[in-house]
Amino acid sequence: MSSHPPFTISRLLKAPRALVWEVYSQPAHLAHWLGPKGSTVTHSQMDFREGGTYHYAMTVEGGMELWGKWLLREIQPPEKLVLIQCFSDSQGGVTRNPWTDAWPMYTLSTTTLTEQEGGTLLSLVWEPYEATDTESALFAASHASMNQGWSGNLDVLEDYLSLLNQKA
Amino acid sequence: MSDPLSTTFAALADPTRRAILARLSLGESSVRDLAAPFAMSAPAVTKHLKVLQRAGLITQGRQAQWRPCKLEAQPLREAADWVAQYRQHWEERLDRLETYLATLQPPSTEEKQ
Repeated sequence: MSSHPPFTISRLLKAPRALVWEVYSQPAHLAHWLGPKGSTVTHSQMDFREGGTYHYAMTVEGGMELWGKWLLREIQPPEKLVLIQCFSDSQGGVTRNPWTDAWPMYTLSTTTLTEQEGGTLLSLVWEPYEATDTESALFAASHASMNQGWSGNLDVLEDYLSLLNQKA
Repeated sequence: MSDPLSTTFAALADPTRRAILARLSLGESSVRDLAAPFAMSAPAVTKHLKVLQRAGLITQGRQAQWRPCKLEAQPLREAADWVAQYRQHWEERLDRLETYLATLQPPSTEEKQ
């Protein structure tokens, strides 16, 4: 396991927890929001059980097609979903990050849904899984700079370098 | 590892090469001056410089006799941009989730609050 802090993000959603769970776990719903801005999900196939997989494809801005896969580890409706995430291909294989081999092959994401005044709090913890030190450092650097606005992005790289230096 | 990002990250993965880059961020330097702080042979230092050169992180002048090495910021900037995009992706994804959830619920529930 990595010694770097994981990536975390949370959002208070104005919806009942049961609905958020549904939208987070059913392939027809996932296709509506899974990709980043400007992307379209073109394949969404789910075998929703512990040990099952979710296989998906999306076309991102610029026309590039990306395949991904979840390996479902722990399912506790309607509050907790643990999965291993990797890049994939149309055959459902495991592939490297298409931009760089330096990214961890597998990442582990834990999503927790908590009922709160006004809706449901979604909390995500995302960390490298079975990654090398260099891969973990790169992963950590991708979120090390907590300031919003990453225009001064050389700071991010500085963070990456300092994380590598801790290992040296 | 042939894509530019992997080449950059691989070049950065070595502490000696990072120290060389840190030194060059202060200004141009000759190979001899660069090598001085390290307890290693000149050929070993040259080897590191070649890796950095191939990654486009440094260039070496041809004019002056001492052929100064110079830091090139562009690949570093590209690597940093790439590294910074993941939080943005997650924010965008949650924005879309929020919008989608709103379309699934009658608007009256929200107004009552």
